[in-house]
Amino acid sequence: MLQVEKLVAGYGKVEVLHALDFKVEQGQLVTLIGSNGAGKTTTMRALSGMLVPTSGSIRLRDKEIAGLPSHAVAKIGLAHSPEGRRVFASLSVDENLQLGAFARVTGARPKGELQRDFDRVYTLFPRLAERRKQYAGTLSGGEQQMLAMGRALMLNPEILLLDEPSMGLAPRLVEEVFKTIRELRAAGVTMLLVEQFAAAALEVADYAYVMENGHIRHQGPASQLKTDPAVKAAYLGGGH
Amino acid sequence: MQILLQLIASGVAVGMIYAAIAFGYQLTFATSKTLNFGQGEALMLGALVGLSLTSWLGYWAMLPLVLLFGFVQGAIVERLGVRPSIKIKSEFGWIMATIALGIIFKNLAEIVWGREALPFPSPLPTDAYVLGGVRILPVELLIVVGALGMMLAVEFFNRKSIWGKAVRATANDRDAAGLMGINTSQIITLSYAVSSMTAALAGVLVAPRITAIDANLGAVLGLKAFAVAIIGGLESGLGVIVGGIILGVAETMTGYYISTGYKDVPGLVLLLLVLMVKPSGLFGKATIKKV
Ligand SMILES: Nc1ncnc2c1ncn2[C@@H]1O[C@H](COP(=O)(O)OP(=O)(O)OP(=O)(O)O)[C@@H](O)[C@H]1O
Ligand SMILES: [Mg+2]
Repeated sequence: MLQVEKLVAGYGKVEVLHALDFKVEQGQLVTLIGSNGAGKTTTMRALSGMLVPTSGSIRLRDKEIAGLPSHAVAKIGLAHSPEGRRVFASLSVDENLQLGAFARVTGARPKGELQRDFDRVYTLFPRLAERRKQYAGTLSGGEQQMLAMGRALMLNPEILLLDEPSMGLAPRLVEEVFKTIRELRAAGVTMLLVEQFAAAALEVADYAYVMENGHIRHQGPASQLKTDPAVKAAYLGGGH
Repeated sequence: MQILLQLIASGVAVGMIYAAIAFGYQLTFATSKTLNFGQGEALMLGALVGLSLTSWLGYWAMLPLVLLFGFVQGAIVERLGVRPSIKIKSEFGWIMATIALGIIFKNLAEIVWGREALPFPSPLPTDAYVLGGVRILPVELLIVVGALGMMLAVEFFNRKSIWGKAVRATANDRDAAGLMGINTSQIITLSYAVSSMTAALAGVLVAPRITAIDANLGAVLGLKAFAVAIIGGLESGLGVIVGGIILGVAETMTGYYISTGYKDVPGLVLLLLVLMVKPSGLFGKATIKKV
């Protein structure tokens, strides 16, 4: 589904990602974990076209998307729920979701059953349904996170990128976010998940990559990495 | 009292022109944090193109074509003058480029329409309505209705249509809008197009009121409208209407009580005052972004 080869990217002259190789299979939930500053967000940004990679290849199905602008990548079917939520603060909840479906409404992507997908998001996040007309900027942090995820889902994407969906949330809401991710996985949505709660991410994921300083250090089925002594010591010990 | 009402009525009509041009400044500022300093020239071109078309089609049938002309002219300004400097993240390139394009448009207009002021025929009766002793010209009503109608139509488009929502999303967070599949460069072109379209309409609305027009029509109007955009706030839609009316009334009062020679002074004084007291404009929201 998504195949990344020798991906190099950075900011200005600073190289952050050093020739990454990884892939996400159809229907899989793959997680990317690693400590602060490892380059997880940079990877996500390079995938969705927010950042132009220096070199390397990114293939979505059989299309090369490396270096395409983000609006073109979205039209090919990659949805990115970015770090820090980035909801449209002065637009209503409803309008944020409509814009999530922008490529479908304007004919750049198959329209499909729009209404059904609105209903699906509102069923997944009943709290949003109660706040349809409210400005997104007035939502709580947790609600904004739900909106960011819902908005990305409205693309009806081939693959969904989630960058720290639990960031800054109270423990009970973190639970809720992971429950939603599990539901999406059960529904067959292909996902790439970046998480600071490494243990929880390994719990829901099929496959995992561990990043360190812009390199992939470990990889394997999530159930296996969970018990790997090296991974345990570095990322799962104590903490949260 | 009657004189005061008369001055206010005349001031409102002028003020709505300032408001319409200032509204155009807001549109491009929202999406790209840049302004078209050739906005006055967009107005002037609209008026002169409108004049030529009027002799051929009449005033009312000319209007849609002038709107279309303004739309295309604004898109050209964005493509030639603004996009290159946005691309290289130049902070001042667009200022020089839009000023330069404005000068080029003015020279072109002098070549095409000459340097002499040309009479603009009135599409409406020239007898004033008298309302409680206050005289209001039909073309003044046309200005108010036309300018308000245009601003409301654009607001309606921005609130209700998916493309309008894309404009607001781009204004909110350009990167995030890109992730939705919105081509934000295209949206910025659109905002320039609509901005110049508004100015071109303002041109053919104000032309019958001032009765004769030439290539210099835009310079002063564009500058005063800039003052209004600052007074009204570059971010708030309602502010420019209030700001425009304040300036328009201040000018007619100065013209009557002091001297018509000082008519242009209030605009500049207001601009200086607002810049000193409140840089984000009287009605502007604080521009601190929630992270
Ligand atoms: N806009 C930027 N300009 C310059 N350097 C940046 C920028 N964004 C990130 N970096 C640098 O790139 C490196 C990787 O950052 P990145 O945000 O990808 O890390 P991360 O793995 O997502 O970390 P976190 O867990 O804290 O979100 C860091 O050293 C960071 O300082
Ligand atoms: Mg990050």
